[in-house]
Amino acid sequence: MSEGSTTGGFEPKIVGFLCNWCSYAGADKAGGAQKSYPPNVNVVRVMCSGRVDPQFILKAYKAGADGVMIMACHPGDCHYKEGNYKALARHRILLRVLAEHGIESDRCRFDYVSAAEGDRFIKILTEMIDAIRALGPIGIRMILPKI
Amino acid sequence: MKIGVYFCNCGSNISGKVDSQQVRQLLETRCDAAYFKTCELMCSDDGKAYLHGEIAAEKPDRIVIAACSPREHEGTFMRVLSGAGMNPYLMQMVNIREQVAWVTSDVGRASVKAAALIRGAVKRVGFHRPLEMKSIEMSPDVMVIGAGPAGLKAALTIAETGRKVTLVEKRAVIGGQPVLYEEVFPNLQCAPCMLEPMLDEILHGEYAKNIEILTLSEVVELYGFYGNFIAKIRKAPRYADMNQCIGCGECIGVCPVDVKNEFNNGLDNRKAISLSFAGALPNVPFIDMAECLRTRGEDCRLCEEACPLGEGIILFDDTEVILERHMGAVIVAVGASLYDAGLIPELGLGRLPDVYTSFEFERLLSSTGPTGGQLMTRSGRAPGSIAIIHCVGSLDANHKEYCSGICCQYAFKFNLMVEHKLPGTQIHHLHKELVYPGKEEYFLYRRAKENPNAVFTAYQDIGTLHITAAEDGILITNALSADDPIKADMVVLCPAVAPSKDSGKLNEILGTTIDSLGFFEELHGRLDSARSKVRGIYIAGACQSPMAIQQAITHGMAAAGYAPSGIVGGKRLEIEPITASVDMDRCSGCRVCMLVCPYRAIGFDEQNRKATVNEVLCEGCGTCIAACPAGAINGNHFTNDAILAEIEGVLA
Ligand SMILES: Cc1cc2nc3c(=O)[nH]c(=O)nc-3n(C[C@H](O)[C@H](O)[C@H](O)COP(=O)(O)OP(=O)(O)OC[C@H]3O[C@@H](n4cnc5c(N)ncnc54)[C@H](O)[C@@H]3O)c2cc1C
Ligand code: FES
Repeated sequence: MSEGSTTGGFEPKIVGFLCNWCSYAGADKAGGAQKSYPPNVNVVRVMCSGRVDPQFILKAYKAGADGVMIMACHPGDCHYKEGNYKALARHRILLRVLAEHGIESDRCRFDYVSAAEGDRFIKILTEMIDAIRALGPIGIRMILPKI
Repeated sequence: MKIGVYFCNCGSNISGKVDSQQVRQLLETRCDAAYFKTCELMCSDDGKAYLHGEIAAEKPDRIVIAACSPREHEGTFMRVLSGAGMNPYLMQMVNIREQVAWVTSDVGRASVKAAALIRGAVKRVGFHRPLEMKSIEMSPDVMVIGAGPAGLKAALTIAETGRKVTLVEKRAVIGGQPVLYEEVFPNLQCAPCMLEPMLDEILHGEYAKNIEILTLSEVVELYGFYGNFIAKIRKAPRYADMNQCIGCGECIGVCPVDVKNEFNNGLDNRKAISLSFAGALPNVPFIDMAECLRTRGEDCRLCEEACPLGEGIILFDDTEVILERHMGAVIVAVGASLYDAGLIPELGLGRLPDVYTSFEFERLLSSTGPTGGQLMTRSGRAPGSIAIIHCVGSLDANHKEYCSGICCQYAFKFNLMVEHKLPGTQIHHLHKELVYPGKEEYFLYRRAKENPNAVFTAYQDIGTLHITAAEDGILITNALSADDPIKADMVVLCPAVAPSKDSGKLNEILGTTIDSLGFFEELHGRLDSARSKVRGIYIAGACQSPMAIQQAITHGMAAAGYAPSGIVGGKRLEIEPITASVDMDRCSGCRVCMLVCPYRAIGFDEQNRKATVNEVLCEGCGTCIAACPAGAINGNHFTNDAILAEIEGVLA
């Protein structure tokens, strides 16, 4: 039984890459409002979503994540002008690569969360957990290219 | 490596919701921390003193602090580390308050999550390297582009601090648009009387020695970065000696060439040597060489011969020069222009001679304008009726979606000026909306409403207005009252305030950004409207958004206060160490990083054919790192190794 589970059922492990300026602040906002949400997402802070290298995502799957989220500032709001556009473009390409390895697109979500959107952060995260609960644990870790 | 973990209870904020004992036990496996200690309130003075003492006693190589969000106290703890003689980058915070304690209802699961995040941080912090702030020299001087109200006020404010200002103005005269107006809203003050003291201050005042005015000049290149910009400025020849000319104008009268006068929107003629308009400053004529007879091979010297100071004042062999100036900051204040009302052909601009833009009408009202301030139609008659069309192209999805904010006010200004000049003239205001916010602005509206000869009529959409020639004047049909067309002798269009035509080109040169409407884009619409997104480049006045003189002046002062605040003579520019760096051995010279960098911070070393990062320009976003196909770029503090270790740690 994994540490994260209380019920003995499947508890998805998710890694969330959050940009410092909007999404991470949005997650803090949810915290400030003391709104409870499931503890399945472990956040890795990056300065900008544009920093999220596809190898980070592959690494997360390999290390046991059932899903990965990349959260960015809304279009036009990136602190570094356009890192979020670069991240979005990269995400689209990555989904195709993941599909070739049998990883469903629901396991890798890109979305926007502003510093004010604590509720939106929780909504996306809950949807993600539900989607992965439905998919079940990731089973193809071994065939991913070595990192 | 000795890694110490400090768990902050944050009063009861964390202790009640995450069980530190359980966390300690969980960390006994799959975690390399040397020790785990709890502390009551790390950010308090006692807490900071405790951390300071711990660093001295334990001598850890790395520290992990599990507490609140790093967005709140990372800086605080970094300063404690520095104070205790430890490099501040050898620490990693774990956000167990905002992202665990406050959001997890089950204490057991919260403790498990906290332990996972701490494992990630412990793994990560092992890869942290000591980083040092670097510093370089800065220039305290400033370049201001555009000599309208915003730019002039900015230049003057900065010059008063003793700094050198280079003021670059495209036209032959300074003062911007308002020098062409006779009177200004909201109180019909005489525009030249209002502006001249400021212009004189710039030209001859106590701080004039600090201001270099470059007229007929444009910035053609800007390179460098905050604290150290270098601008190349193309200065067109004026053909008259700015220092010696006394501005008597004798040379102008004798010139045999007539050209359409652009300062009066082509409503009258000027000479090939001209002074723009009476009262223009600097009071030195310029020769429009494209029109001068000498360009056509004739040896005309009439202007030179007329000069009471003799030879050497008119400079026929003056040439274009490229000047180079060094500065620490740049202020862009190039103003705006009017939307081209010709794009709405139903309005008759260009087709009907007595349809004018508001700019043209300003000149018709001006004593230095084409008619000497006499209000008359092209055929020389005093108009019995004038129609002023508000909102031309504003508030309109087909043209400009925004309200330009100033047009109603100058339209009411026109109303009162016409009433003064030609009492009894009928004035029709055709408007979509009426806007006049502010403590003084209601006055002119009230006066227009009180004018017994003024009529206010709403129209729905600019496309529902049709302006046609009538037998003795102009006919305006409005779909809202189609059977009651308005007759007028003159029509004045109030077009939307639109970005200047060449702002796109200047934007390219400066490396700034423009917004979706074409205005120079501010760093933040409310918090930082005088800063562009490029560090060290500021924006002021109507080039950022439509605004009246008052706001343009205030904006100029804001930029002038902001720009020098960081660049002080003798002070050095501190460079944040969280930047990208290139591994020369791995770089293949493909230049993908240069394409994705939003700050033009990556240059190319042609000799070695490798990318190089400018640490001053680099903001540390990491986009280039993720894009580099060779894995040759790394980001200080956010290295691939550190992030990959953190991912592994949080999932361990
Ligand atoms: C018809 C009309 C009437 C108005 N009446 C009033 C009024 O009564 N009261 C009031 O408060 N406001 C009035 N306004 C608004 C007023 O004109 C603006 O608020 C003001 O001009 C803004 O000042 P600025 O310095 O931002 O720009 P501007 O006055 O436009 O000055 C910009 C300067 O930059 C120069 N420039 C442009 N491009 C470059 C370049 N690439 N390189 C170098 N220099 C460049 C221009 O030549 C100009 O000198 C009126 C506007 C209009 C259209
Ligand atoms: S800083 Fe948030 S996406 Fe770039």
